[in-house]
Amino acid sequence: MILTVFSFESCPYCQKLKRYLDSRGVDYEVRDIELDEEAAKECLKISGDLTVPVTTIDGKNYVLGFDKKKIDALIEEATA
Amino acid sequence: MSVYDFTVKTKRGEDKSLADYKGKVLLIVNTASKCGFTPQFEELQKLYDAYKDKGLEILGFPCNQFAAQDPGSNDEIQQFCKLNYGVTFPIFAKGDVRGETAQPLFKYLTAQKKFEGFDMNHPVAKPLLDALQKNFPEYLEGDGIKWNFTKFLIGRDGEVIARFEPTTTPASIAKDIEALL
Repeated sequence: MILTVFSFESCPYCQKLKRYLDSRGVDYEVRDIELDEEAAKECLKISGDLTVPVTTIDGKNYVLGFDKKKIDALIEEATA
Repeated sequence: MSVYDFTVKTKRGEDKSLADYKGKVLLIVNTASKCGFTPQFEELQKLYDAYKDKGLEILGFPCNQFAAQDPGSNDEIQQFCKLNYGVTFPIFAKGDVRGETAQPLFKYLTAQKKFEGFDMNHPVAKPLLDALQKNFPEYLEGDGIKWNFTKFLIGRDGEVIARFEPTTTPASIAKDIEALL
């Protein structure tokens, strides 16, 4: 698993991000903060908020939102 | 026929008759997660805190019909969503609110109170209208729900008193609620 994406179902930017990761062939794990309380707690720990998508490699370095440039940098870091 | 004839589904999938709310002033709202356009949860919660002891009940009906769709590629619109938490009024099961698949309650409400346009003084009115014209022009036709956070105010006897579009803030309808309490 390279990346972890915190998201919830009705968030269009989360879907956009996942589609983008799919298109780049990146392996990622999805954690739903609406359905999974543990995931919500972890998301809070990482970013201090329940705002998604949050994409992270290690739970420290993360990108909030669908920001292509930052996501690309994160993918580069993850696959380096 | 009145709103009390409708039964809706709770988050847990149980039936809830709106007749259980007889005698209360109701604000029925189609809600969505906070994704750029018209996030009104905080303001609705404030209304609820202010008036629940006087007989106001707010009923939230989450709907993916608008939220799941990208409101446009406008860079000014935030590219993230916030999960709602800290809301204490009832939120029911997810369901459709417009079109053929709309929940019967919303078919009834939109038939009772027609669409009379957006309040163009609201800062989100123009981008919302632009996004609708560009992406979902069919949404602008007829009286169906146009977007998240359309609010229906119901009197203590079940009469549908008013419809407020997403461009009317919850705070600004406090006076309408007060008049019914």
